Amino acid sequence: MKLSETGEARVRGYLFVLGQSLKSFLPRAVVMDAVQELESHIRERIDGAEPEPDERTALEQLLQEIGMPQRVAQAYSAEITIEEAITTGRIVPTARAFWNLATTSLLGFFPALGLLLGYLLGFGSLLTAFLKPIFPNNAGMMVVDGVPRGFGVFSDIPPGAEMAGGYWIIPILIAVGLAVLIITQRSATRFLVWWRARRGKPDGLADWPV
Amino acid sequence: MKEKPVVTVDSLDKWREQLRRGGLELAILLSVSTTPRYGLEIIRYLQESTDLVVTEGTIYPILGRLTRSGVVEAEWISEGTPHPRKYYRLSLRGRKNLDEMLDHWNAYRSKIDHLVETAGRMEQ
Repeated sequence: MKLSETGEARVRGYLFVLGQSLKSFLPRAVVMDAVQELESHIRERIDGAEPEPDERTALEQLLQEIGMPQRVAQAYSAEITIEEAITTGRIVPTARAFWNLATTSLLGFFPALGLLLGYLLGFGSLLTAFLKPIFPNNAGMMVVDGVPRGFGVFSDIPPGAEMAGGYWIIPILIAVGLAVLIITQRSATRFLVWWRARRGKPDGLADWPV
Repeated sequence: MKEKPVVTVDSLDKWREQLRRGGLELAILLSVSTTPRYGLEIIRYLQESTDLVVTEGTIYPILGRLTRSGVVEAEWISEGTPHPRKYYRLSLRGRKNLDEMLDHWNAYRSKIDHLVETAGRMEQ
């Protein structure tokens, strides 16, 4: 089947949406390669198809069989980001994988929230430890009338409040921050391994026909 | 009171699906083990040779992962084809992986066959 200008525009539109959807999660080079490969695939199938009953219907049928571009992008990005996170065990790929899961499934949202809290607590502790020598009266645990009211770095200390703890809290904050980050990271990786296994197939998506 | 069946149609379908999915990666590696193939060619080869109906959204991410892990090698070829095609072939590392997978597969299959034979004899 040789496509008319309208058909070509439809294919370009499909690939554009695919590229845009992939860009949210994947590096540019990976996106370009994935789009190029799928374009090759689509054109190959178009070549072998007949414009029956008409070009538009045949093309729509073909694109429907391939799947909505957002779904195809989801399959690509889930596979790639989860794989990278598990293999490297680094924070950025893990965060990217969780962001992917959180934006594409309800079950992925809550673990992603937990991961965010873990990162915030871990990095918050390290940041507080780092800023304590610079702002000794603003970093640490804020206590009002003997009751802890907050933890971290505060620009304004309300009347009656004081920052508890001296410089001795620095090693404690570093130890706590690192421990929280390590535990969060390991838990996140284990969750991703479990997630992939739970899906029961290599590409990590349960509801796609194989 | 009516008893519920132990194995429902749903659970049987799920089991069959899991079985097919479990063998998918092996099937893909086997399909590129003898000759380089491109994505659509692999899909058609699997459909013709087995009952594995694989979609584009499934196979390309798997091929991408296998390429990144060095199990298969990919190369764009545009000569002699109407459109550039990305051909996949098994790498040396992939060959070793495939041999190991086949060893496991054969061992597993013979054990299951043995169980089936034993169960068949006991029924007789």
